[in-house]
Parts: sequence; C-alpha cells; structure tokens
Amino acid sequence: MTQSDSQVEKLKLEQVGREVCIPAGVQVVRQGEIAQKFYVVLSGKLKVYRETPDGIRTDLTILGPGAYFGEVALVTGTPRTASVEAVEESTLLEITEEEFDQVLDQNPKLARQIISSLAKWLVEGDKRLEKETVHQVKLRQISLFDYVLILGLSLVLALVFNLYNDNQIPLIFHVGNLSGVQEVPLKQAEELYKNKQAIFVDARKSNFYEQEHIKGALNLPVVFFDLQFPMFQFMLEQEKVPKDEPLLVYGGTYSRRFDLELARLLKEKDYNVMVLQGDYSAWKRAFPLERHKAQELSAMPLDFGGYLEWLPVGIFVLILIPPVWRSPYLSGACRLILGIIFVLFALSKIMRPAVFALNVVDYDMMPSWGVNLWSLFLPWAEMMAGLFLILGIRTRAAATVIGGMNIIFIVGLVHVIMQGLPITCGCVGEAGEPVTWWKVLKNTGMLVMSLQILLYDRLFTLDRGGFIWRERKI
Amino acid sequence: MKKGLMLAAATLGMVFCWLMVMGCGESGQPFAGTYRSVEPYAGKGHIELELKENGEATWKLAQEGQAIRFKWRAEGGQLWFYTKEGGIILATPSDGGKKLNVDMTGQWHPSCPRSNCITFERVKAGSF
Repeated sequence: MTQSDSQVEKLKLEQVGREVCIPAGVQVVRQGEIAQKFYVVLSGKLKVYRETPDGIRTDLTILGPGAYFGEVALVTGTPRTASVEAVEESTLLEITEEEFDQVLDQNPKLARQIISSLAKWLVEGDKRLEKETVHQVKLRQISLFDYVLILGLSLVLALVFNLYNDNQIPLIFHVGNLSGVQEVPLKQAEELYKNKQAIFVDARKSNFYEQEHIKGALNLPVVFFDLQFPMFQFMLEQEKVPKDEPLLVYGGTYSRRFDLELARLLKEKDYNVMVLQGDYSAWKRAFPLERHKAQELSAMPLDFGGYLEWLPVGIFVLILIPPVWRSPYLSGACRLILGIIFVLFALSKIMRPAVFALNVVDYDMMPSWGVNLWSLFLPWAEMMAGLFLILGIRTRAAATVIGGMNIIFIVGLVHVIMQGLPITCGCVGEAGEPVTWWKVLKNTGMLVMSLQILLYDRLFTLDRGGFIWRERKI
Repeated sequence: MKKGLMLAAATLGMVFCWLMVMGCGESGQPFAGTYRSVEPYAGKGHIELELKENGEATWKLAQEGQAIRFKWRAEGGQLWFYTKEGGIILATPSDGGKKLNVDMTGQWHPSCPRSNCITFERVKAGSF
C-alpha cells in the first residue's frame, strides 16, 4: 500500500481494469487473504489497518484519490498484510493480477515507482516499529514517582483527614502516665499467685480470655472498660476483695496495648495495680491455665462486599486458558473488580480508625508505635490504589501496591490461622468475618489478579507511555 | 500531564463526595430516645441509655454520678455503639424499636447471648 502519487494518473491504467463502486463501511481487502487484485483509488476515502488475533487494531493510514493499494501482496506473493475499508462511498479501479503484471512489464516507470513506494513504506515501518518499541518500554517502566504519587498521596490524605475527623486518633499510641504501676517479673508474679496475694486480671478481649487464661483470673477487656468496670467492681465485691488488694494485670499483645492501658485505668480508679513485666506471652508457660474449646466466631452477613470478594477466586479458572489469561480485556475486568473491592475495604475503615487499630492489634504482629500509623495509612493506600485502578491512572504501579498489600494480608491471615487467634479479619466492614483458609484463597486470587494487570494491562490507561485507548493509532 | 492532574483531581473529588455520603449513613432517627435497662446492672441500679440524633450517646448507671459518653449509628437494622478505645457493642432493636438487646461481648452474634445481654426499654422517644 502506498500514498497517492500524481504520477499514477499519468500512467495509462485506464486501458486495464474495471471501475467498482464501494459503499461506506465495506471491506475491500481483508488481512490474511490470498491476493488477486490491485486497486487504484479514483474517488472517496478508505482506511488501512491491521488487527491482531486477540482483536487489537492499529490504524495505518487513510487513502484518497490517486492512491493505490494491494501491490505488496501481489509483488511478494504473500497474503494481504492489512485490511482496507471504505470510510465513505468510493470508486476504485480494480486490476487483476495478470493485468497488474502486464502493466508493470509495459510501464518501467510505474514499476520503479512501486519499488520506491515499497522502500519508503519499509523505512516508515521501521520508524513506526521504533516508536512503538519506545512506547512499550515506557509502558513497562514503573518509576519511583508512581509510588511516591500513590503512597505519598495516601499518607498526606490520611494525616489531613485524621486532623479533621471526629473520630481522630493519635498518630502514635501512648499509654500515658504509668507512675505508681509496679512492673512485676514473672518469678515474683508466680510467688504472688501461689500465695494468693494478688487478683490476676486479664486485659484482653473476652474471646481471647475465653480461649485461654490464667486459672482464676478475672476478665476486664480494656476496650469496654467504661461500660464493664461497674460489673468488674461488682465481681470484686462479691468475692469480698479488699480495695487495697493488689491487682496484677496481664495479657498484653505484641503491641502491649491492653495490659499497660488497663493498669493505668485501674490505677486512676485508686486500685493497687501491678503489671506483668517482660515477655508478654510468658504467662502461658508459667501459670496453670484454663482453656475452653475455641468457639467458632459468628459471621455478620457482608452483603455486596462479601459476594464481590468471591470473584477473585474465579481467576484460578481463567489462568488455565492462555489466550484469556493474556487478554487486556481480562486486565480491564481485574482492574474494575480489584478497584471496587479495595475502595469498599477502605471505606469501611476510614471513618473510624480506632476500630481498625484494634483489628491491627489483634493480629499480634505490629509494635505499639506502628499500630495507629498503619491504621490511618492503610485504608487510604487501599482507597488510592483502588481508585487509580478504576480510573486507569498508573495502573501497573497501583497493581503492585495492591499486590504488596495482599502479600501482607496473606501473611497476617496465615499467622492468625496457625496461631489459632480468635479474631475476625477486619478486612471488610467493622464487624469483620472469621479468618479461614477461604479468606486466604480470596486474597491469593487478588494477588494473581494484580499480577495479571501488571503484565497485560493496556486498555484505557494513563501511564508513562501516555494515554492508551483500545484502538491504537500510530 | 494536564490530563493526569485532572484525573487526580477527579479522583480526590470522588473520594470526598463518597466520604460525605458515607458520613451521613443510615438515619438513626427512629431509634433516638431514652432507654432504661429492664434489670439493674452490677448491683448499682438501672442503666439509663440516651441516644441522641446527632450520633452522641450517654450511658449512665443510676448509682454512679458520671455518664459515659460514646458514639452510635444505625446500620443494617442494628445499632452500633463505639467506645473511645475502638470497641464496638452491637444492639438489636425489637418491638418496633421499643426494646433494645445490647450484646456486651463486643462481638456479633445472630442473637444476643443470654449471659452477656442487657435489655433496654424505651422510656422516651425523641428528638434532642
């Protein structure tokens, strides 16, 4: 195919061929078919394009009066290299292969011109290839800026939102004044227990206490201190415990969130308070324990979010079909599903960071100084990465951020299952759902989805290579 | 770059619109009012629970002077009480909102566990 050239008109082509009228939208030649004819455009407008087997279309050029096409396949003897379709009603001079050979034999000028056009076309093809290669390389690049944009924006928004949020939490949790609270080493605590010289108080949530606690210990969950303290007082009165009897608080987590906080609150109520020192889980090995069979946690129905979470599991079926697995349409679907899931995840946590902070503490993996920061930052990172995926901004970087978060979630969930912690996931909704291997599978599905986006996404994206729509024009 | 900035601005706009909508949530108005526990609690008399339309709530034991403040909202046919430490207590209205069954375990159960359930009756409906 080539562009119009005035010299074509000078050649005596009218002596051969026949005029054909092509209505708008009709395909004159089809990519891949065996070539038998050569065409000269007498009037109208036609477009030349190529299409890949998975449907990606590349527009090559527009032909007008004087232009000709179909010569490449005739000269090289190969199938048609592109398709040509009439944009508007067009008139063409249709020349058969025999007539074309005859014309070439009789018109060395035309033959030279066709060779020249083919050479030009090859050079232009090289330039197009280079341009596309550069474009593809840029698409594959994920710069530090992309991460600064997503994560930095999340951090700034988290901090600003927390500043104006009614349910604001401090950036770093601080227990407050602990003066007057004696820290007791394990050996001394064992002596106190043996001699019944202190009342042991478990500061954890009731489901942790029910699962396992020091025999005879009372439970006062610090998260419901204000509401449940009267009942705790009542229990002490029932047991006829004098007010100056020492209370030894234990049951902190890795973040030491509960035991220290409860000790401080009890001290404010004028109790003689001690707290177990050192390794927060050492009491499990040192004291006689009361254990109850772990009760299965009830799951609050999650409605839309709960159903949506099952979609990523379907990816395991789709990756078995290679053409589907590599499809950019699948990337589009993955982006939409992951984006909506992560935005929903985020919205259920953003408004009340204190609730999510307790979920983070429950996982027993985060030091005290990091709990609140993580609880503020993570929902906003989920929100930003999810929105970037939906809107098509820096999708590959957003997919890696979401993939990274899924790896963290999977590690956390497996930790909870292996440790048998009686907690809810805290992933969607404030009531949460039980942590099971199904939950791990759902998160693995999301991880695979983010990998698919990273490798094959190229529809409706604004990336380093510029904006890409379905039909790529070169 | 301009297109990128416009998209980023649109993203932020969407986020804040959504948050504003979320912030409004389900109306708690039908459940606002003053409730009183059916049974005395912890040997200190009845609990008076006041749910205000603005999402504020107070919990006061008859023999204790100080009222405990927290926040509440209604969603999915249940009332969610939020303690300042981040704990959630769920309450299920019954009898058309005249009664509240408050699950003191801090977890969700299909029905309020008998040993940890406090039942309240509405003594005053209303707007505050």
